[in-house]
This record gives sequence, structure tokens and C-alpha cells, in this order.
Amino acid sequence: MVAITQDPIDVALILRGLAGGRTGGIDVFIGVVRDTNEGKSVAAIEYTAYVPMAEEQMRRIETEIRERWPAGDITIVHRIGLLRVGEIAVVTAAGAPHRAEAFEACRYAIERVKADVPIWKKEFAPAPD
Amino acid sequence: MWTPLMRCVTALFFGPVREVVGAGALTLEVNPPFTGDAAFDALAGRFPALRAWRGSLRLAVNREYVPFERVLDAGDEISFLPPVSGG
Repeated sequence: MVAITQDPIDVALILRGLAGGRTGGIDVFIGVVRDTNEGKSVAAIEYTAYVPMAEEQMRRIETEIRERWPAGDITIVHRIGLLRVGEIAVVTAAGAPHRAEAFEACRYAIERVKADVPIWKKEFAPAPD
Repeated sequence: MWTPLMRCVTALFFGPVREVVGAGALTLEVNPPFTGDAAFDALAGRFPALRAWRGSLRLAVNREYVPFERVLDAGDEISFLPPVSGG
């Protein structure tokens, strides 16, 4: 499953979607908003997307992962909109019969998202004292 | 044989490029040879600040990454995408 959402990402819901059946392990990457970037303080990040293309790219990544790790399953969710420090921006979660494929597929998913999915961030500094 | 003098495409703008152009979408008239490069030149003629971005942009036509040499068809949805920064 892949999705772009304006709403907070529910990691537990994603895990429930992957657990069960032949899944023996789930590896999860969670990207969260950090309070600094390149030495500057950050209060919030606004994520924007070319939504239809981003969804198509995410579906393509999902297809690649299913071809490379056919016994597993993958979920990729990216949030857009204004997110504050600590909020979850992206989750890639890979379930597989054994941990090695889960780790590999999860890493592959987030690296591909960061390379090709048309989403951009704009950082906002904290208000001056 | 009749040859159109230009082709109209819809250009969409995102991220920092959207801030340079000051709009999310424009109808753009592309002169021969109707390539992504020609579309970029047309756009940079109107928004000279875009030229500094040329080396880091990727072209998408109808939501697929393609080379700048790609020949455009009338009605294509194109976008010059700045480096993505999701995650």
C-alpha cells in the first residue's frame, strides 16, 4: 500500500496491515521532523508534493519491491502539509518471512522515496524571542 | 504540409521553482523543435531567475521523468522539478 496524506500517520495501523500470514518480521523506517537543518533552528517543515506524480512514483517503487522481494509486502506513506518538530513525515514498512528481506526492502523503499518521489520541504525557523 | 508554429503545453511548478515563477501552473507556448529544452528556454525568457536552476532540474512529462531532449506534444503536462527533498 502506498499513500500521500494530510493527516497524522498511524504507525500501529500500518503494522497491523503487514502482520499476519507468512510475515515473520517487519522493519520500519520513520522519518520525523528535526529541530535543526544545516546548523539552523527549525520549528516546522511544510511538505508539498506533485501529488499525482508522487503517487505514481510510490506505486512504481512498490512494484519494484514486490519484484525483488516477492515473499514480502511493503507500505509507504508520506505526509504533506505543515509538520512540527517531532511529527512523522514518512513511514516505510516492509514485512517479510525473515528479517534480512525486511531490512533490505525497507532500506530500499526509503532510499528510492528520497531519490525520486516529487515531494519538497520548506523549513520554518522558530519565531524570534 | 502544414506545420504548427508552436505547441501549447501546461507547465506545473513546485517547491522553490514555484516561488521563482510565482504561480502553480502556466500555459506555455513552445517553439520548434518542441523539446523540453525549448520549453525551458521559453520559460527562462519570462523568468530569468530560473536559469540558475537549470543544472539541478529534472523534467517530467505527463508525470514521468524524461530527458530534456524529449519532444513535447500539444496538451502535455510538463514540470521542471527542483531536487526532491521528501523523507
